Amino acid sequence: MTQSYEVFLGCAIPSRFNNYESSMRAVAKELGIKLIDFEGASCCGTVVLKSIDADSWLSMSGRNIALAEQRGHDIVTPCNGCFGSLKDTDHVLHDDESYRKKVNAALKPLGLEYTGKAKIRHFVEVLYDMKDEIEKKIVKRLDGLRVAFHPGCHLIRPSNVAGFDDPELPGKVDELIELTGAKSVHWDMKLRCCGSPLLIASEDVALKILQEKMISANGAGANCVVTNCPACHTQFDIQQLGLKDDDGNSLELPALFVTQVLGAAMGLDPEPLGFELNRVSLDSINDILGL
Amino acid sequence: MTESWGNFKSFDGKKFKALDVEFTNEVSKLIGGKDLTACFQCAKCSAGCPVADKVNIQIHEVMRMLLFGLKEVLETDMVWLCSTCYTCQERCPQGIDITDILFGLKNMAFKKGITPAGYIGARQSLYDTGRLYEPTDWERDDLELEPVPELNIADTKKMLDKTKLMKLEEDE
Repeated sequence: MTQSYEVFLGCAIPSRFNNYESSMRAVAKELGIKLIDFEGASCCGTVVLKSIDADSWLSMSGRNIALAEQRGHDIVTPCNGCFGSLKDTDHVLHDDESYRKKVNAALKPLGLEYTGKAKIRHFVEVLYDMKDEIEKKIVKRLDGLRVAFHPGCHLIRPSNVAGFDDPELPGKVDELIELTGAKSVHWDMKLRCCGSPLLIASEDVALKILQEKMISANGAGANCVVTNCPACHTQFDIQQLGLKDDDGNSLELPALFVTQVLGAAMGLDPEPLGFELNRVSLDSINDILGL
Repeated sequence: MTESWGNFKSFDGKKFKALDVEFTNEVSKLIGGKDLTACFQCAKCSAGCPVADKVNIQIHEVMRMLLFGLKEVLETDMVWLCSTCYTCQERCPQGIDITDILFGLKNMAFKKGITPAGYIGARQSLYDTGRLYEPTDWERDDLELEPVPELNIADTKKMLDKTKLMKLEEDE
């Protein structure tokens, strides 16, 4: 049975990480997952707007959900931020009639209504359901890749909203990564926030958190970081450039998207996997990835 | 430039004007606020907080200030340095939606003009374009990606006019 979803890209992926979209599409195509363009998508709502005004956030986010619902589709997104915002909105609108009425009043002039029929999923959730199919597609083992996998916050917390994996000991995406022969290493700071949402308030604090994370990843013997979120990736593949510990030692590790890792192991054409757009140099792991 | 947020740095020598029970009630009505008064100060929230060692006032202290009805809480740096990781909310033994309450405090602070400057610009972009960032076309061309689906800005503007996004500021 072919699965199909409207694919919600959000703002950060088309702006900064087109290699994430491209590698996601390549992996989806190989697995027979149909991705339908999300016509009329706006910003997901985002923690930024939620921080400014709850009503505006719920309306912005609720409109996206209602668009997919009107077209009779479910939603898949590769971004933790969009996933968190849309799921959280769905949670609030489902549970709280007063907010549901308020949002539907704002949606009515647009000919839309939220009733909660559209399901919202993260792309890695869909992949996890297809674990067996993925395993059969692995043609190139990535032995020697030691991954510090960063699940990110909004994929797993709050668990009553996210509904994916154990919030204190997540391991589902790690299982996918290890199908390739790569090792997902244990690192103390794995569950710690990447600091990305703080870039707007204090870059210093955001970088301090990233430094703590990267000291942990390096200490655990990882040779790359893997994420499933463009907001987290902003920290690991942009802010990480030139990052040092307090003694001046480099903390830089290559940062990959989970779809790039799976795509490489599935032997997909490297062009759409978009490795040339990764900013932190991949030289140290090129041989393992077969680049 | 002096930051307009996070100016409340220490309890030492601080005198509070009054305890305002209405403020506690107001916060209890925010999204996630219903169990606010169940906080018994175990500080598990601060134990797992990624910015606990980077703020002047920690999250369990914020919770206490809320129960005491101290509006000065809106001036603590914890409000805007919360990274929204939800670790505190996930772990709270009393089931309090701590992170969601902090979002509500951010809303209240923003209305009073207590906000990092970045949020002012972000609000403008969200209103003007319906997005936070614009697509990078050359990258999309290189990877042979289709253009990002179009958005009719009039639709999102109509909604955001209704929620008064651009007119949130309180008259002091």
